[in-house]
Amino acid sequence: MSGDISIVNLSKTYKTDEKETVALEDFSLDIKKGELVTIVGPSGCGKTTILRMIAGLMDPTSGTVTLGGKCCQGPGPDRGMVFQDFALFPWRSVRKNVEFGLEVVGVPKAERRERAERYIKSVGLAGFENAMIHELSGGMKQRVGIARALVTKPDVILMDEPFGALDAQTRNIMQTELLRITDKTDTTVIFVTHSVDEAVYISDRIVVLTKRPAKIKEVIEIPWPHPRDRSSQEFTALRRKILKMLESENIQPDGSTGTVA
Amino acid sequence: MDLERFNYDENDKIHRFIRKIGISAVSLVVFVLIWWNLSLLLNNPAVPTPGETWDAMLYLFDKGDAVSGMTMWGHMSISLQRFVAGLLLALAVAVPMGLLLGYSDTINEFSSPTLEILRPIAPIAWAPIFLFTVGYVWGPILVVFVGIFFPMLTNTIFGVKKIEPSWVDASKTLGANKMQVFTKVMLPASVPYVMNGLRIGMGVGWMCIVASELYASFGGGVGYFISIQAQFGYWPNVFVGIVLIAILGLLTTGVSDYAYRTIVKRMGME
Repeated sequence: MSGDISIVNLSKTYKTDEKETVALEDFSLDIKKGELVTIVGPSGCGKTTILRMIAGLMDPTSGTVTLGGKCCQGPGPDRGMVFQDFALFPWRSVRKNVEFGLEVVGVPKAERRERAERYIKSVGLAGFENAMIHELSGGMKQRVGIARALVTKPDVILMDEPFGALDAQTRNIMQTELLRITDKTDTTVIFVTHSVDEAVYISDRIVVLTKRPAKIKEVIEIPWPHPRDRSSQEFTALRRKILKMLESENIQPDGSTGTVA
Repeated sequence: MDLERFNYDENDKIHRFIRKIGISAVSLVVFVLIWWNLSLLLNNPAVPTPGETWDAMLYLFDKGDAVSGMTMWGHMSISLQRFVAGLLLALAVAVPMGLLLGYSDTINEFSSPTLEILRPIAPIAWAPIFLFTVGYVWGPILVVFVGIFFPMLTNTIFGVKKIEPSWVDASKTLGANKMQVFTKVMLPASVPYVMNGLRIGMGVGWMCIVASELYASFGGGVGYFISIQAQFGYWPNVFVGIVLIAILGLLTTGVSDYAYRTIVKRMGME
């Protein structure tokens, strides 16, 4: 079906003069339309690498990403991306940032404006259309980032630790907002995060990765409805279980919990 | 009068402004007094007093000088025209070239040996060649061009290299092609750096124009004016030329600083 994503045997090997580093090995995953999948794993395990390969910003060493049956080559507006550092264009207003994706494919001005306004409104920024980026708070900036990624109606949005730069309270608000927005637009989301709490709160499925070379350790389905109660017993139990998994990944052969660079 | 009412308030914009003007005025008065004393002390015709210079200036603006038959307005406008022409030429060449060199490592590596050989040459060293080959109108313009070109080029290249990789990534994921990445991301993102290059270049360019006119023996301009007045020993006139160079230099740097600040601020890229 259109909108379904199929990732088959995705692998990435970095070559330097002295050695080859395997960052990702045989990563396969099928994602249904409208699903919200998060990827968690030990630091530096290659979560971002997966996202960048799906986005087409990086070529895989082997394996394929197909979207609705078609093979993805290079970046394209069918896969939107939201960045940790927002990656907004400071010389453009909120409206102009959101319009960017429509502008480059030649959508007429009036339609561009109307569509941008609709998405700016849907992320809760009505009235800020003409604001410049530096006038916004971190949370507002990422709302612009989400509107910009959604306005081209991509089949999937790829979110690379999108709330990582926000404070804890704003982060919680943004998680709820994300669910509200993606629910309404029925957009597929692949979401990379460091925060297990965040993953358990928003995900339909959580993919837990091993340390380098990253492989899928476990895929956890979360059928619970939203909004979820962070303090409920099942929530904390699942959180603890995933944290344990990650902890065991971070333990070195010598028994220490060394950090992976 | 109640002196209490003149207490200086640091938070008051008008107070700060008055203070700044006051200090500047005192500074200038001290400067003129030092000049005056030095002139009297040296008692040398080549160092006229501020009074003599002022009288000469009034006369030159009104009647002009006997040698060139032009008023100071004429000389100033000739210098300014050459300056602006050199500046525009440098903008037209250095900015596209800087964008290209910043974008492509291969082109950068290819050009850098030549550029590094040319860079340390003082722009005025080209004056004899330029004046001989293209004459006294274009000669000084080209000297200004060389002076402004290098700071502008360096800053533009730096600007392209400093572009956030995530801006480029974002534009690609939004469907921009290579040309659009260039025109819609790299070009606007490098504007503050181009403006900074322009600001530095304008200071250098103004020195170049006067120096090259000093060298040229035709065609008017403030530098030319100083040169001929010195030959005839009209020292107060020479000083008028020097004072005008200072004022025009101050104005051009003021304008470019203002333009830089305004544009960078409006682009939200401080």
